[in-house]
Amino acid sequence: MALSPESEKPQAPGVHPRPLWSLDPASDRQAGDAIVSNFVFHWFPAKALKDSLAWRYSLWLGTVSAALLLLLTLSGLPLLFLYVPSVERAYGSVKDIEYVITFGYWIRSVHRFGAHFMVAAVFLHLVRVFLTGAYKNGPGRGQHREWNWLMGIGMLLLTLFLSFTGYLLPWDQLAYWAVTVGTNIASAVPLVGPQIRELLLGGRNIEQATLIRFYVLHVIVLPGGLGVLFAYHMWRIRKDGGLASADQAASLPAKVEVPPGRTKTYTLLGIARGTGPTIRASSIEAADTTVSSIPDLTRRIAIVLLGTIAAISILAVFVHSPLEEAANALVTPNPAKAPWYFLWLQEIVTDTTIKLGSFTVNGAFIGGVILPGLLVGLLAVWPWLDRSPTAAAGRWFPQSRRRQNAVFLLLVLAVLLLTFVGTFCRGPYWQLYWPWQAWVELPTRI
Amino acid sequence: MSQKPKEPGDRREFFVKLGIGAGLVALGGQGLASLRSLVPNVSYDSPTTVKLGYPQEFPEGMKFLPDQRLYVFREGKVLHAISAVCTHLGCTVRAEALSQVEVRTVEGSPLRLTHRFLCPCHGSKYTGDGENVAGPAPRPLAWYHLSIATDDGQLVVDLARPVERSFRLTLA
Repeated sequence: MALSPESEKPQAPGVHPRPLWSLDPASDRQAGDAIVSNFVFHWFPAKALKDSLAWRYSLWLGTVSAALLLLLTLSGLPLLFLYVPSVERAYGSVKDIEYVITFGYWIRSVHRFGAHFMVAAVFLHLVRVFLTGAYKNGPGRGQHREWNWLMGIGMLLLTLFLSFTGYLLPWDQLAYWAVTVGTNIASAVPLVGPQIRELLLGGRNIEQATLIRFYVLHVIVLPGGLGVLFAYHMWRIRKDGGLASADQAASLPAKVEVPPGRTKTYTLLGIARGTGPTIRASSIEAADTTVSSIPDLTRRIAIVLLGTIAAISILAVFVHSPLEEAANALVTPNPAKAPWYFLWLQEIVTDTTIKLGSFTVNGAFIGGVILPGLLVGLLAVWPWLDRSPTAAAGRWFPQSRRRQNAVFLLLVLAVLLLTFVGTFCRGPYWQLYWPWQAWVELPTRI
Repeated sequence: MSQKPKEPGDRREFFVKLGIGAGLVALGGQGLASLRSLVPNVSYDSPTTVKLGYPQEFPEGMKFLPDQRLYVFREGKVLHAISAVCTHLGCTVRAEALSQVEVRTVEGSPLRLTHRFLCPCHGSKYTGDGENVAGPAPRPLAWYHLSIATDDGQLVVDLARPVERSFRLTLA
C-alpha cells in the first residue's frame, strides 16, 4: 500500500522510504526536500518563478549553450584518447578517427557540430540578453546583473578561442593557415605584438611547439576557465533573484513588515532560535507566481538538454566532418577561408588597411585588433552607459530601449552581412563573386 | 582597563601583513616563472642563410622555392629574389604570369616584369617588383640579399637581410 504524503514522516530532511523519490516527489514538501538534499538539484531554488521559466522570454538559449558545453566535454573525452598532438601524427590520427575507428566519425562530428552550434547559441544568448535589457538590475536588493554580463562576454570569447584552438588540432591546411593568419593578427598589436606571437607559437615558425600549446589551451586551460565562469554565472543568476523577466513578479505583492518578537523562525534549513528577524515577504513564496522547481523547472531543463543532445547526435550521423589536405607550409590554399564565425573578421582585416600619404596602417591592426577590441570594450561597459529605466529590464523590445536596440541590431546585422559575404561571395584570391557565379579555373600548382 | 597594550597588536598586524605579502610574492613568482618558462631560449627554427643550389641550375625567368617561400628571378647573369610572404598576414602569395612582359625602371635600375603576385587569403595584389597595388597589403614584398657561397659557389639567400629593390646579383 502506497504511503499517503501526509502520513509519510521522514526521519530527517531528505530521508524518504521510496527510492528515487526526489525525481518524482509526492508532495510540495518532498519537492522542496529533494532540491535541498540532492547533489544535482541543489543548484536550483526550491521554488521557481513562473516568469523565469517562460519559453518565449529567454528562448532557453543559455541552457542550450550549457547543454552543448556538456556534450562537447563528453564527446571530447574519447577524442582525447584517440588524438595525438604531434605534427607528424596529428593529421594521421584525425584521419584514423574519421575513417578507421568504429563510431569515430560520429564522435568527431558530434564534437564539431557541438562547437559550431555553441558559437551560435552563445552569440544568440548574448543578443537575447541585450535586446531584453537583462543585464539591468531590477528592484531587488544585491543585484549585480552587470557582472554576469561581463562573465558572459568572457565566456563568448572563450568559446571562440576554444573553437579556434580546436580546428587547428587536425593539422590540415585549414589549421596551418588559420594559425598563420591568427598569430600574425596578434603580432600586429603595437610594441608587444611580435612577443605575443612568439609566445603563442613557441618560436618564430609554426612547428611542434605551436601544436602542443594550442592543444593544451584547448583541452585544459580554456575549458577550465569556461567551467569556472559557467559555475559563477549560474550562481549569480540565483543571487540576482532569477531572470530579469521575473523581477516584476517577485515584487508584485506589497511587502509586509512582520513585527519582530517570535522566539523561533522556520527557515529552509532548520530552526533559528532567538528573536525572530524582520521578514520582508516577497512573492517567492506566493502560490500564484511560483511553482515547485521539481518538476516544472527540472522537466524543462531535461527537455532542452535532451533535445539539444538528440538534435546534434542525429545530425552528426548524416553529416561528416571535413578534413582538408595535410598541413603544407609550402602552399596556401586558394581561397584560404576561416570557419564561418570568423569570416566577418577575415572580411574586416581585408578592408581596413588605411593609406594616408606615405603612411600605411595594416588592416591586421585596425580590423584584427582595434575594431574587435572596440566592439568587445563597448559591450563590456554598456551596462554602465545604458540609461534606460529599470522597468525596461526583462522585456522584449520595450519602447524606452528602442534606439539602443536598433543600433545593436544594426551592428549584429553588419557582422552577419560580412559573414555572408565572406562565406558565399569570396572566391579565389579573395575576389568578390556572386553566390551563383562560378569561380575561375585556376591551376592548383604553381 | 579595556584598552590593550599597543605593541602585541602591532606585532600581530605586522606578521599578518608579512604573511599575506609573502604569499602574494610566492604566487606572483610562481606565475612569472611559469610564464617565463614558455618563452623559448633556444630557437630551433631553420637558419636564415640558406644555400639554394648552383646558379646555373636556375632557369631563365622565375623559380619558386617553397621551402624558403621565395621567388628567384634570373635574367642572363643577373639575379634577384623576392619574398613570397604577404606583408598583410603572412600567407604565401602566388605568381601569375603576365601576358605581356613589361620593362619598368625600379629605383633607378631597369627591371623586366614577367609576373604579378596575388594573395589567396585576403586578395592583396603586387606587381612583378613586389610593389603592393591593391588589397590590404601595407608594404611591398621584401627583396632579399643574394650572394655566392665562397666555398662551393652555390647561390645563398639571407632571409634576415632585406635589400633595396635596386639590388641585383651579377654572376661573374
